[in-house]
Amino acid sequence: MSRAALGALLLALALRPAAGQLVTVGPQFALADYREVASGLRYRGSGFGGSLWARRDRLSVEAAVVRLSLDPADGSAATTGFTATQVDAWVAYDVAAYASVEVGVLHRSADPEFDAQSVGAVRVGARSFYEIGPGATVVFRANYLAAPKFSGGGRAAISLDLGLGLDIRLAGRLHGTATYAFNRMNRKTNPGGTGEIDAPIQASLARVGLALGL
Amino acid sequence: MARYLGAVVCFAGLAVPALGAAQAGQNATLRRAQQAYDNLEYRQVLTLARAALRERLTGAERARAYELLGFTYGAMDSILKAVDAFKQLVLIDPERQLDPNRVSPKAYSAFDVALRQVLLVRQLRVDSVSFVGGQGAVPVRFTVTQPARVVARAIGTGGTVVIDSGAWNGQVNLRWPARLAGGDPVPPGTYTLVVDARLGQNTFSASQPIRVSHGRVDTVPSVTSLPGYQFLPETEIPPQSWRPVGLAFLYTGGALVGTLGLESSSLGSGSKRELGLVGGAALVTGFVMMLRKPAPRPAAANILYNRLLRDQIARRNQDIAKENVARRQQVQVTVAPVPQVTPK
Repeated sequence: MSRAALGALLLALALRPAAGQLVTVGPQFALADYREVASGLRYRGSGFGGSLWARRDRLSVEAAVVRLSLDPADGSAATTGFTATQVDAWVAYDVAAYASVEVGVLHRSADPEFDAQSVGAVRVGARSFYEIGPGATVVFRANYLAAPKFSGGGRAAISLDLGLGLDIRLAGRLHGTATYAFNRMNRKTNPGGTGEIDAPIQASLARVGLALGL
Repeated sequence: MARYLGAVVCFAGLAVPALGAAQAGQNATLRRAQQAYDNLEYRQVLTLARAALRERLTGAERARAYELLGFTYGAMDSILKAVDAFKQLVLIDPERQLDPNRVSPKAYSAFDVALRQVLLVRQLRVDSVSFVGGQGAVPVRFTVTQPARVVARAIGTGGTVVIDSGAWNGQVNLRWPARLAGGDPVPPGTYTLVVDARLGQNTFSASQPIRVSHGRVDTVPSVTSLPGYQFLPETEIPPQSWRPVGLAFLYTGGALVGTLGLESSSLGSGSKRELGLVGGAALVTGFVMMLRKPAPRPAAANILYNRLLRDQIARRNQDIAKENVARRQQVQVTVAPVPQVTPK
């Protein structure tokens, strides 16, 4: 089968309405801003990733992975950029028509390893969603990032993650998605046992993509 | 004035026998009697009518001769003789009727007295009717002119069935269920409905042939709706509102406020392009959705109403199904009178 024919077949499948659609999967383009320790250490970049969403009754699962190339922003003290891979996952349970509670994980790794902090944390939070029109849903989420682990050590008693999401059914099975996430970790380290110092981490990430309903 | 009115009525009464002259004119003597009556030559009417009665006449001519005698005696104030003539008339033709608007009061009252002095069963009528066997009846009516012991029977294919009996006088209305003694409908065929009246030694019978036929009882079709009740749409389109853009603004605003609140002072103000991109998309979507026709939403009250209506229809169809099972075991009885030739 030629590529053109395969493309036409995929387009036809995408534009065909799905009945009882429960799973969406698709690629995403991402923009990111990352800051660490001090205002002088900041990065900006973009990347690509993918997302998966599935629902069964009141239970839903969401996962996203993105690989970002982050370069020092204008005026940054950093000299070289790095590549970050971020994995987010949630399991949510609807407690009301417009709200659900969720748990999940956040994992961000940096390459080269010590150019930025790699972090892993457990998410616990809630989200609100509302269908603002036919096939259009907005989501707002707030997660507490519990027990974060950093590659450079340290702890962060207060770590939060906020999110805004939008899902629009464009045609048939084809959805357009846009999500925004902002997380802030009040990391404190104690290098050499000389006392704790603040080494906060702050990142914002926007993902825009398409998703195919299955 | 009263005398004038009486003359008019009397003239009208005299005109009636004249109308029947052509019909009764078979016998020459009777025709002459009719002509004499038309010319008000009453004595000659009496002579000629009596002479005609001594001749060979048909039943209708004989009845006509007695009728002429009755009218003539009535006109000559010989009421008793008029009554006798009319008695002979109704014995020959029991169904004979006089129109009170067209005959003289004297003649009519003499006819009425004659009727009450003779035992007759008149005006036996059976209406055409069709009903499910066991659930209807055939209307039968007749008039008995004197108080008498009366028995009404149906005689035919299925044997003899007594419809009713009793001591009756005047107008009698009966309802015959057209069933045998065992309760089954009478078999199809031709029957003769006979009404016998007995008063002392006097008896009189009247009969009316009827035809009984059997057919299948129509089954009732199942229903898809109830009269006066219609299904309502189960979704409704809510009115357009600012809610979509308001919610998009609320959610985006929440994200913006949260971001600003969480930003670390030591890290400086972060980039807002990510939030701008997604928040802008949410606001634009909200604005577009505000302008778009809202999505239909379930109308709970209508859904409940439709469910109740469907239940009612299902219940009705269950009843119909049961009724049809019973109807398939029933028979449709149709009864119609057979026209019979009446003597002229």
